[in-house]
Amino acid sequence: MNFVAVQMLIGDRAKYLGLIFAVAFSTFLMSHQSTIFAGIMDRTTSQIKDIKDASIWVMDPKTQYFDEVKALTDDDVYRVRGVPGVEWAVPLFKGLPRAKAFDGNFRVVNMMGVDDATLVGAPRDLVLGSPEDLRKPDAVLVDRVGYEFFFPKQPYVLGRTLELNDHRVTIQGIFNSSAPFQNLPVFYARYSQALTYVGRERNLLSFVLVKAQRGLSDSEVCRRIGAATGLDAATSQEFGWQTIRYYVAHTGIPVNFGITIAIALMVGTIVAGQTFYIFTLENLKQFGALKAIGVTNWRITGMILLQALMVGAIGYSIGIAMTAAFFEITKGNLDLRGFVLFWQIAAGTGAVVLFIVMAASLMSIRRVLVLEPAVVFRG
Amino acid sequence: MIKYGLPIFAALALTFAVIKIVHTQPVHAKLMPPAAPPSAVYANQVGAVGLVEAESENIAISLPVPGLVTRVDVQAGDRVRKGARLFSLDDRDLQAELALRQSSLALAETRLEKLAMSPRPEDLPPAEAKVRESEQLYQDTAVQLNLMESVRDKRAIRDEDLQRRRLAVKAAEARLDQAKAELALLKAGTWKPDLDIARAEVLEARRQVERVEADLSRLVVTAPIAGEILQCKVHPGEYAQAGPLAQPLILMGATARLNVRADIDEQDAWRVKSGATATGTVRGNTGDRLPLHFVRVEPYVIPKRNLTGDSTERVDTRVLQVIFALDPGARVYAGQQLDVFVDAGGQK
Repeated sequence: MNFVAVQMLIGDRAKYLGLIFAVAFSTFLMSHQSTIFAGIMDRTTSQIKDIKDASIWVMDPKTQYFDEVKALTDDDVYRVRGVPGVEWAVPLFKGLPRAKAFDGNFRVVNMMGVDDATLVGAPRDLVLGSPEDLRKPDAVLVDRVGYEFFFPKQPYVLGRTLELNDHRVTIQGIFNSSAPFQNLPVFYARYSQALTYVGRERNLLSFVLVKAQRGLSDSEVCRRIGAATGLDAATSQEFGWQTIRYYVAHTGIPVNFGITIAIALMVGTIVAGQTFYIFTLENLKQFGALKAIGVTNWRITGMILLQALMVGAIGYSIGIAMTAAFFEITKGNLDLRGFVLFWQIAAGTGAVVLFIVMAASLMSIRRVLVLEPAVVFRG
Repeated sequence: MIKYGLPIFAALALTFAVIKIVHTQPVHAKLMPPAAPPSAVYANQVGAVGLVEAESENIAISLPVPGLVTRVDVQAGDRVRKGARLFSLDDRDLQAELALRQSSLALAETRLEKLAMSPRPEDLPPAEAKVRESEQLYQDTAVQLNLMESVRDKRAIRDEDLQRRRLAVKAAEARLDQAKAELALLKAGTWKPDLDIARAEVLEARRQVERVEADLSRLVVTAPIAGEILQCKVHPGEYAQAGPLAQPLILMGATARLNVRADIDEQDAWRVKSGATATGTVRGNTGDRLPLHFVRVEPYVIPKRNLTGDSTERVDTRVLQVIFALDPGARVYAGQQLDVFVDAGGQK
């Protein structure tokens, strides 16, 4: 009987391909838009994720998200160190100074200042140089975006100079950064030097980076830091999600993408559903004949679901491959880096597609179930 | 074709997608820091930043008077004993004044000597001769009067002559008395009050000399304690200001043992108990833990001194300073920063 169902499906070539393309493009649209949305949201947490050696961030209790910080006092590092369960704590500075090249090109950059002694937080994925080079005088590490902005179409060489707040800095390393939300260049310097690259403020300590002692969970140490110092402590993941929630709640990005995804979902469901419905209606005679020879309703339902699954599987495979191919092609572009087809999105799209084809097929199933076998014998 | 081709194509497409998805998933592996940060030592601890200083605390050498530096006798790193000469200021004007005062002293002394030695021996014979002369003159007038009085017949002499001779005797007598008195005065020497005045003048001149000498000695700056010269920022030819300076001329201290001055945030101050042990680590070498021994708590909580050195900073927190001693031979330098963990009690 399953063989009959497959034959029925591919027998009508136009409708068969139409169904597959409806599902494939619906899949592509949904997974692609979801990936771009997730990528943009993920970008807001790039600098949090790029710091791979500390798992807890301590900040002012009123901090909403990563890009807007209120400075702590220098002593807060020592207060955090005094909290039981803290293995170590080091300062981290984050600022937005303006970098100038000597040809007059300028750009606001994300300046990260890492602890002078330990360099906790320094980038490790370097194209040229090493994190230890930060110890050199006036050293900065710049990401590829920054380098290519200031020295476009030039080979990567170290030792070039830029100007930051009237200070001359030397590029001692070029690294791969995760793209920030605004895709600003990312610079790293030592904490003591980074402070001099921004204007005068009284307090400049942005974050305290903490590592929990062995055997204690990060969330437990966060709770203890909060209780002991009155500051807000969050794990990297929590802080990342906090930042994402801020952007979701305060920008139009989710609405925009949400509408696109919803339309993809609706169009996919309606086109596939309608095509399937017409397909089933046209095959009513065949179903009637099957019923007339004694095939049960259950069996017929199974046949229709099999057809739906087949269409869904083929359409989904093609659609998801299109999305994967898109991000494979754009992978090399620096400005589009960080957009990755997450497996969660692929799986979620699969589930939605399954739902679409099931819903579409079930819309037409009713007609078959109430069908009188006698209809076959009428005109 | 459509019967098998499409499913096969779909299967290939799905395989491609799965491979790409698997390969591009972001990895969030945790890494170790490039250099190990100072890590927790005690179960209950207070973190602080410590500044290494000399056991005697760091002494910023100052001077009582400003002046031009002419000689510097030490350099950074020298170990000096107490009272050793550190540097000297220009003393030419005071040396000139000293010479002047010394000559004044000599003058006063000579004057006193002269007064003490009077009468001058050569003055006596003329005075004695004068007495003798007056005596002879008196004798002469007395003889003349005698001759006149020995005349019996008073008519032979004029009464006027007799009167004149009598008066001449009296005058000669008075002159003799005067000569004798003058001789006596001469022999008596200097009057005592005059001598006293001269002695006082000598003393005054000597005090003047001593004052200039004291001024001169103030131009030589010496070590107040035995210790090590930590910093020498004074050079010959420079003008040295008196009073406290932002950049001390010479910084010294007793560095046989070093102390650590730990700044503890006032919010954590209550957790530090007197006598608490502590551990310090040098920045850049956290593997080497230095034991710290409690010395004392500074009883006054002071505003945090920010190491950025910005003078316009407002105070936002105050710190309790606790002094700890380092073991002798610890490989740290005065002025170095340590990350300090103070034991706040409790189980590890």
